[in-house]
Amino acid sequence: MLTARGKVPLVTRQMLVFFALLFSYPLWASAVGLYDYIGVEIAIWIIYALGYNLLLGYTGLPSFGHGAFLGIGAYAYGLSQLDLSGGVWIGLLLAVCAATAAAGLVACFLSHRRGIYFALMTIAFGQIFWFVAIKWHGVTGGEDGLLNVLRPELGLGVASISLKSNTTLYYFAAALLAVIVVILWRVLHSPFGAAIQAIRMNETRARFLGYRVWLIKWSVFTLSGAFAGLAGGLFCLTQESAYPDVMSLHASGFVVMMTLIGGGFVSFWGPVVGVIVFFLARDLLGSVTEAWLLWYGLLFMAVMLFEPEGVAGAWGRIAARLGSQKVAAPAAGKEAST
Amino acid sequence: MDFISGLLPHILNGLALGLLFALIALGFTLIVSVMEVINLAHGSLFALGAYVALLVISPDLSALGPLGEAYAALPLGARYAIALVIAPLAVAVVGFGLEVCLRRTYGKKKEYGLLLTFGAALVIEEAIRLTWGPAEQVLPTPEAVTGAFLAGDMIYSKYRVFAAVFGLCAIGLVWLFLDKTPYGAIIKAGAHDSEMVRALGINLSRLQLLVFGFGAALAGIAGIILAPIWGLRPHVGVDAVIPAFLIIVLGGIGSFWGAVAGGLLVGLAVGITGAYATDWSILSMYLLLILVLSVRARGLFGKKTVLET
Repeated sequence: MLTARGKVPLVTRQMLVFFALLFSYPLWASAVGLYDYIGVEIAIWIIYALGYNLLLGYTGLPSFGHGAFLGIGAYAYGLSQLDLSGGVWIGLLLAVCAATAAAGLVACFLSHRRGIYFALMTIAFGQIFWFVAIKWHGVTGGEDGLLNVLRPELGLGVASISLKSNTTLYYFAAALLAVIVVILWRVLHSPFGAAIQAIRMNETRARFLGYRVWLIKWSVFTLSGAFAGLAGGLFCLTQESAYPDVMSLHASGFVVMMTLIGGGFVSFWGPVVGVIVFFLARDLLGSVTEAWLLWYGLLFMAVMLFEPEGVAGAWGRIAARLGSQKVAAPAAGKEAST
Repeated sequence: MDFISGLLPHILNGLALGLLFALIALGFTLIVSVMEVINLAHGSLFALGAYVALLVISPDLSALGPLGEAYAALPLGARYAIALVIAPLAVAVVGFGLEVCLRRTYGKKKEYGLLLTFGAALVIEEAIRLTWGPAEQVLPTPEAVTGAFLAGDMIYSKYRVFAAVFGLCAIGLVWLFLDKTPYGAIIKAGAHDSEMVRALGINLSRLQLLVFGFGAALAGIAGIILAPIWGLRPHVGVDAVIPAFLIIVLGGIGSFWGAVAGGLLVGLAVGITGAYATDWSILSMYLLLILVLSVRARGLFGKKTVLET
């Protein structure tokens, strides 16, 4: 995952393949037994997981309370629609702002921590937000959450589009996802991106090199909270409701699982693969058995035991093996997958 | 005086809860200090203990014929006592299994072990839901500790006193075990420097296996005792594992007295705030944690450990 030095293109070949698949999805989805709604869900969770991987995969900070920021984004969007009826853009902006503010606040308490203390503190903060969301009936609607958050028209300057149909909504979410992918790629190949990877490799050494580690950790936590907030706003837009379930310890754990099953530690695209695996597993296993989580949990345990670098790690190894057979192949292994 | 007597039951409730929290946290901290793994499945093991106890106390043994009838005819107290032995053992066996899996992650990224236990937590919880159903169940308690008694002009639940005394005894036994026996000395040495322990010719793998099983069994016992107070749901484990995290961080990772003091503090905080704002009482433990950590970064009794790298 170490990023190469020198000039990095704004849009890579892998990105183009991804965008092609992303935007053509509604055309072939039904042919393979999928539908638009799951596409919307996957797009939203990819935004969430990619933003999360900034923290987990690139900075090496395991947060187990990230659901809080998704939830805060969802509530902020929902409240803006119910109380202000400000339209999609304002709602999403508020969602991002609210989640960023919350993440920034939490990060103040977390940024000087490492390892297990960091993980435990994120659990504590995640639980605080979850608990408040359940108990603060007046604002959050308690366990039921905010209901009937209708999808408004999406204003695009000259025209406005109805988001009532899942297909339109999918294109909207996919467009946002595409922008996010480019932004994240840019961030990761900036000096800031190099600094966070230095912190993952060796925090003490990064500090000795003169990086302001506290500030960098604070920024990356807050930034990843902002992405979670955007995902949360979209989540509320899609579900037409916001509820505390997404903030629970389990839901926060799911994003960690998705990021790792795909191989977030070794590849930029790891979280994308992980999210797709999760939702396909939910639909496929869920159609066979009620207890799909049991099987998914077992699958996850097996991945952690036998292939802890996830799908991307396995792919990297296979690619490396193929590459060593064909001497001509230039980039192989981990470099190829970033 | 009214103020004191009004608050006293809440303080006692808090202490009882705190002692059991401390018991959960002790198992947790043992596992963290010897294996350097946060056991996210600890709460599920807690729930599993309670469910196995339920199975032992009121089993469906009609298939066994007269033997089953004889067992069912045993007084509830006897079956409860049997459950108190069998259920933690069963949980310890599950703990053994989990440790054997965990072994593959030692020496790799810390997150892998952590996440493996998260997966295990999901699996155990779903398995409980499959086996016993999602509905809330009641764990029967023996006659002797059911009901209430009068102390002065105060009505107090017998079961909570039993729970407090049981928690106290269990913590005392764990302390005796760790502090006064050679096995305890090995465990503490293993927590301090596992390489050295191996160099001294002690079977480290077996030590880790047993410590994990022991920690799991402590969670199972706490589950049995807390089940009648909290009720029995498949996801009850989360209610146990979260306080355990907080207590460990509050008291300092790897510290015995830190876990006990943290447990009592959290129990008291929850108990006393319960007197004023029942709905919000759980929040008090998070606030307590943030308060303590703002003053002492490694908790009350914590030292700098390998876990921070």
